[in-house]
Amino acid sequence: MVWGAATLSFLVLHLVPGDPVDIMLGVQSTATEATKDRMHHELGLDRPLILQYLDYLGRVVRLDFGTSYRLQRPVVDVIGSQLMPTLQLAGLAILIAVLIAVIIAVLSRGPLARSIASLLELITISSPTFWTGLLLLSIFSFQLHWFPVAGGRGFGALVLPAVTLALPVAGILSQVLRHDLEVVGEQPFVDSARARGLGHFQLLTRHSLRHASLPVVTLTAYVVGNLLGGAVIVEQLFGRAGLGRVTLEAISNRDLPVVMALVIFAAVIFVVINLVVDALTPLLDPRMRSRA
Amino acid sequence: MRTSKRSAALLAGAALAAVLLAGCSTTSSGAAGDPVDGGTITLAIDQDPGSQLDIHVTAADISALVLRNVFDSLVVQDSDGTIKPWLATKWEISDDGTEYTFTLRDGVTFHDGTKFDAAAVKANFDHVASPDTKSQYAAALLGGDAYKGTEVIDDHTVKVTLNRPFAPFLQGLSTTYLGFYSPKVLEQSADKLVAGGKGITVGTGPYVFEKYVDGQEIDLKKNPDYDWAPDNATHKGAARPDELRFTILPDNAVRAGVVGSGDADIAGNVSPTDVSTLKGDPDIQLNATEAPGLPWSIFLNHSHGVLADKNVRLAFQRGIDIDSAVKAVYDGQYDRAWSVLGPTTPNAYDASLEGTWKYDPALANKLLDEAGWTQRDSEGYRIKDGQRLSAKWLTTSAPREDRKSLADAFQADLKKIGFELIPNPEDSGAYIADLMGGSYDIIDWSFIRPEGDILRLHLYSKFAPIQNASYVNDPQVDEWVTTAAASTDADERKELYAKVQKWAIDDAAIVPVYVPKYITASSTSIGGLRYDINGWPLLYDAWTAKG
Repeated sequence: MVWGAATLSFLVLHLVPGDPVDIMLGVQSTATEATKDRMHHELGLDRPLILQYLDYLGRVVRLDFGTSYRLQRPVVDVIGSQLMPTLQLAGLAILIAVLIAVIIAVLSRGPLARSIASLLELITISSPTFWTGLLLLSIFSFQLHWFPVAGGRGFGALVLPAVTLALPVAGILSQVLRHDLEVVGEQPFVDSARARGLGHFQLLTRHSLRHASLPVVTLTAYVVGNLLGGAVIVEQLFGRAGLGRVTLEAISNRDLPVVMALVIFAAVIFVVINLVVDALTPLLDPRMRSRA
Repeated sequence: MRTSKRSAALLAGAALAAVLLAGCSTTSSGAAGDPVDGGTITLAIDQDPGSQLDIHVTAADISALVLRNVFDSLVVQDSDGTIKPWLATKWEISDDGTEYTFTLRDGVTFHDGTKFDAAAVKANFDHVASPDTKSQYAAALLGGDAYKGTEVIDDHTVKVTLNRPFAPFLQGLSTTYLGFYSPKVLEQSADKLVAGGKGITVGTGPYVFEKYVDGQEIDLKKNPDYDWAPDNATHKGAARPDELRFTILPDNAVRAGVVGSGDADIAGNVSPTDVSTLKGDPDIQLNATEAPGLPWSIFLNHSHGVLADKNVRLAFQRGIDIDSAVKAVYDGQYDRAWSVLGPTTPNAYDASLEGTWKYDPALANKLLDEAGWTQRDSEGYRIKDGQRLSAKWLTTSAPREDRKSLADAFQADLKKIGFELIPNPEDSGAYIADLMGGSYDIIDWSFIRPEGDILRLHLYSKFAPIQNASYVNDPQVDEWVTTAAASTDADERKELYAKVQKWAIDDAAIVPVYVPKYITASSTSIGGLRYDINGWPLLYDAWTAKG
């Protein structure tokens, strides 16, 4: 899968129009043709495509991702330095999203609460991240001065970006969780648990939520994709460092080494997450445990 | 964080002082009382100079704006365009205009302790001109192939020799792009300059490069030894604040909000549509300066298609209602352009063009009739020989400054005269590929530079399609722009540039649309803020009353 992602991204980036050198220079530059040829040569872009590809694969195997065209720094450095801010952002966002989703799902009993919940979910899912972020900014930063706008300084600066990123995810999780809780509520074991005298809260924490969380766990891959996509916008809006911005810049500047490394990185993450999910499922669901 | 109650109270106090002082203050800023030492000034900028930290390589405006605080130049260009001493105390130009001899200021040192002398100037200019540097802009400012070499006469005297006279030379020298790196850095870390960083981005300026956090901020620290301010500065010695912080906030709405919220002291490149909101805030002062150089303009490709016909180009020029569109889209903040140079371009602008080519759909219709586009198809567009009168406008997928709205307005105007305008937005890769291929009919941009030589970049036949995107190929124009570039007679240059500007309108080679302004919003707690000829904030003289 990782190899497939690497190859596909190599192909796509070479098939779409646009010369990396021309893009790097832009329309303001006064670089001469000789300068451009030199840049092509130094980046190895004047060699046949198949050689570039083989060379690239060879380096990937050795975990050498080369040097960013644009930043002129080792790609590993570029991604490494941006990893932490994004992990912090995404980590807090997941936490907030799960918290919101569980609260909504648990609280929404009865038809009125349910329709309010589904309205809230609809709003969070369908609002563009960009718009949500700007709204939060103008209320909590510009008006109330509760949180700083910019940068990665301190925990306070992390809250608004994380909430912005969390809201759409929370909406989806809550939708799924609520639906599953309803389904679970009709299961015979719930009746039997009630018959044993279990209260609503105990029932929820010991049985129903655990049951209902199964489909949610399998959604993780989707959620991670959503977070990475949202990070592009959130990091831009709040002036944060992070992988989202690196990805955006790398793609629009045809910074091939960085894009490839990011694609491979994303592929590895997805593989790891799927493995973790596979490992977690039996813990949540005794039926999935092997009998060996 | 910075927006504590205490600082809010201080801010309020400063604002009060500002209101009291406003009556007697004559400068655009300086409402913050007497100069204060210490503190941090935070400036919100719209673009990330990240991969563009080598001043000798980059062509990015944002790099020049930020790194002006780290690098000094030989001369300084005052806001009226005159060239004044800086690291060079005086200079002599040979009669034939090919030799510039500079006398250098004594006692100047780089941030790493290296002495600034004639050898340092030579090392820097050699570095800019070297093909290994792959300079995208500085080399052209140094004269391009007109630059011959630099000679060390003695420690404090240096001579630059040109192959032919190059009039824009001193203006080029005044820019950040021709600032000076420590020769030690050029020797030891030349390959790391683009990425930049502490100990690499080393100049002689009032601030020392401390830290760059990718996509987030650049931190500079005061250079306590600084004692070689440019001639036009309002104070001497070290800068007042201890620290300068540039935070990168690309979103316009966010930048418009951060000064009011106290997250930043200054916001750069504020959108014109945010001006009316900010004006209502008594704690915020605004500065707007018209950009010199090429206004935001539409290039009509001469090399092929319907626009190869001059009558069609003129019909385009007179068939779009520039006045109404610019007023509506930019909330009355920007002025429409009448010439291919902005009015603030020193010693070059031709004001006589103002009002000479107003919106005239009747004339546009007549011109198209004369050009043979007399039939109409079912959608009302003109046709000739079975072909529709239609032009494709190549743009990037996300044009800045709401230019999409202008294009929409022009599209509607042109439809009225039977001229179809097809917007062709492309991502940056395809955009550049199409631009290089010259397959577009229409393309647009602006180019900020306080020098009439900008006309040579955009109209000289050898520079197509960058930056001569109209593919203008006219021997007369070539002669005017090259003569002007070589002339050292200011009056002769002005005369030649007036001819070129008139020609550009008569030929409808480039249709100038609006003169962009660099708008800065700053807190009233900031004093001493000055602006250069581009309208970019100059932070050397500034202080923060928050201390």
